[in-house]
Amino acid sequence: MSLSRRSFVQTLGVGAAGMWVGARGREGSLFGSEAVFAQGAPSPIILSSNENPLGCHPDVLAGVRGSFAEGGRYNYAAVDEITALLAKKHGVKPENVLIGSGSTQILRTSTHVFTSKTAGLTATIPAYEECADYARLMGHPITGVKLTADLRMDLDAMQQASKGAGLVFFCNPNNPVGTAVTASDTRTYLETLMKQSPTTTVLVDEAYFEYATMPGYATMIPLAVQNPRVIVARTFSKCLGMAGLRMGFAIAHADTIAKLKAWDGTNNVSIMGLMGVKAALQVPDQWVKDEQARNKAARDFTQKWFADRGYTPTDSQTNFMFINIKRPAREFRDACLKEGVLVARDFPPYEKTHARISVGTMDEMKKAVEVFGKVLAQPAKSAA
Amino acid sequence: MSLSRRRLFQRLSPVEASSPAEWIAARGREAGLTEFGEQGMAAGARPIRIASNENPLGPGQHVLDAIVGKFPEAHRYPFNAKQTEGALITAIAQKNAAKNENVLLAPGSGELLVHAVRAFTSASKPLVTAWPSYETPRDIAKKMGIPVREAALDGKLRIDIAKMVEASKGAGLVFFCNPNNPTATVHGKSAAVDLVKAIRAASPETVILIDEAYHDYVTDPAYGSMIDVALATPNVFVTRTFSKAYGMAGLRAGYAIGHAPTVKSIAAYKMPYGLGTLTLGGAIVGFANDAHIASERKRNTEVRNFTVKAFADMGVTATDSQTNFLFLDIKRPAAGFRDACRAQGVLVGRDFPPYEKTHVRVSLGTMDEMKKAVEVFKKVLGSTTTTSSKDKQQ
Ligand SMILES: Cc1ncc(COP(=O)(O)O)c(C=O)c1O
Ligand SMILES: Cc1ncc(COP(=O)(O)O)c(C=O)c1O
Repeated sequence: MSLSRRSFVQTLGVGAAGMWVGARGREGSLFGSEAVFAQGAPSPIILSSNENPLGCHPDVLAGVRGSFAEGGRYNYAAVDEITALLAKKHGVKPENVLIGSGSTQILRTSTHVFTSKTAGLTATIPAYEECADYARLMGHPITGVKLTADLRMDLDAMQQASKGAGLVFFCNPNNPVGTAVTASDTRTYLETLMKQSPTTTVLVDEAYFEYATMPGYATMIPLAVQNPRVIVARTFSKCLGMAGLRMGFAIAHADTIAKLKAWDGTNNVSIMGLMGVKAALQVPDQWVKDEQARNKAARDFTQKWFADRGYTPTDSQTNFMFINIKRPAREFRDACLKEGVLVARDFPPYEKTHARISVGTMDEMKKAVEVFGKVLAQPAKSAA
Repeated sequence: MSLSRRRLFQRLSPVEASSPAEWIAARGREAGLTEFGEQGMAAGARPIRIASNENPLGPGQHVLDAIVGKFPEAHRYPFNAKQTEGALITAIAQKNAAKNENVLLAPGSGELLVHAVRAFTSASKPLVTAWPSYETPRDIAKKMGIPVREAALDGKLRIDIAKMVEASKGAGLVFFCNPNNPTATVHGKSAAVDLVKAIRAASPETVILIDEAYHDYVTDPAYGSMIDVALATPNVFVTRTFSKAYGMAGLRAGYAIGHAPTVKSIAAYKMPYGLGTLTLGGAIVGFANDAHIASERKRNTEVRNFTVKAFADMGVTATDSQTNFLFLDIKRPAAGFRDACRAQGVLVGRDFPPYEKTHVRVSLGTMDEMKKAVEVFKKVLGSTTTTSSKDKQQ
């Protein structure tokens, strides 16, 4: 790597972790514990948290209802049962699987176990904030890596910045920018890193796996079960429509899972979430394909609307879009909120120019673009 | 560990080699034995599960109805739902004449115990806990390499307040479990207030955590919650749970309430959105229904009185239980008793050293379950090789 390329690698000390901290609180940050619904007001269109707008398969709710008789009992036996079912679904062994309270818990636990005061976290700027927020809480160093000009992960820069890290947060597809890198690029990165940096672990976050449609994208699960230094995180919160049930999981080498488990257990997952997952694992593949197609159609529609007006979207592989709206996200967000449309928080360093907008139903997006049109027709108050 | 227990453990544990104590710790304390138990039983048999201090009736119908009412929002993160954490926090604060900043929610109070150890202890600021007491704070401190000072119980198996105060000097955190799990005993309000005062005087920097998981089951008139004291006193907070009287152990909800800066320090460790949208909906409705809790307390008290008397008739003494479980002096090792009960379809509590050679913890099921369980206890206690039973046979 040339020196000039290297200069793109931006290293942040603990105190400078504000890049992420500015976006504080992740998906919940905007509204804290206050309801987004004013009592009696019409429901807003929620395009701020990358949820599946149609919700989960009805069988999942039937599964939740089926758990009621065990609602008063601790969840231990069910955790074992669902761990085994997840393992079977992914062709791995139960000792390769750890259930979490959403993938959030997997992200936190991985950061806890694999970073330290001397071996910190490396992640792109921006990336989903959980790992960086947690590293900051622990006082562990954070290295941020800029994206390329077309808002993709810069793998050369990542390669460089990952050396010596305790944990690399490899978010693919990336939240908030929506872009993904191919499996072969990921493998090359991982192979090189394994040689370069013998104590670094990589957490590959595949939260949006089901929504990625680009050729060459694939899961790292097969590699993770072989390689004790690679962890894959997955969630039921996105395509499977179960964000309110708080279920995610890690797949990794048995030794790695054992390390994660030794720090944090599975006490905080609910029996409803567990039985919801049991049902979700039976949902026909076609249902997932239909959701993928529905999402893509609504995303294409909205992105075209923006592109036609000179606002450039990234190459999204997710259920959200990252759009250059040429004005501060905050100004756009506040104006949209007044019109009943919620879009996402700030994502430094792009908060002056870009907004993240989750994909709702086609109906919602048709209404939303009218609001966007109205809002963008106003001249920007502050400079982009 | 007996051979049969070890074999059982090996069969059930997918992860090799860790000791049962570690294994149970990693999964949380209550219930590890339930699984052992069920595996040890005849296929198809439905065990009486009185090992984990759960509410045998589960959540009330009002809670389940509220959860079904949240089904349309199962795909929303809790902060995007029509009722967010704020709704439950406000309800808890209002009932206790507190502000929202005094309240912190978590998916179970167990998680708050973990956060408290992380927030307030260090290599130079030990944890103080009565022993035996609920194990989570001690387990997590040991895992983190934090020194633990254990204060032995008094002669009535109550927490020894003087010993706790003595141990508190320079400690980061004092864990005061009232009523105490596993011994079921409680201290009255004035003793608890004295404990707080004495620790504040001896060691003003030390944080005091008062775990009131079994609050709703206490009938001793001398008892009173310490929430009012916690709200008014720096470095003091109380934890409560929906897992016991509210019957929601499987749904995962609990909270901390106390002095705002102390609660804030714990909040730093809180896992984002851990309390799910459906759980939140259930907890909000459950929390509002005081009548349900009063009737659950009454039910539990009746079952407790019946079971205590049944044991007394067998010559077995219980501590003064103020909870939904009994701590019983069976004058023989818990392990053998537990195995024998399991073979008859009754699952009772795990070992609680240093009392595991003499005492067992039995949770309270429904009246029906306890009537059946008592028959099993009679058989098991009457058929072993204690001196008294030999005498009878002769
Ligand atoms: C990339 C990524 N990882 C993890 C999460 C956490 O999701 P959950 O805890 O609901 O699984 C999110 C949520 O938006 C995300 O975008
Ligand atoms: C004293 C005490 N505190 C805390 C807990 C943890 O309960 P939960 O995490 O279900 O709220 C228990 C569980 O049995 C307990 O006995």
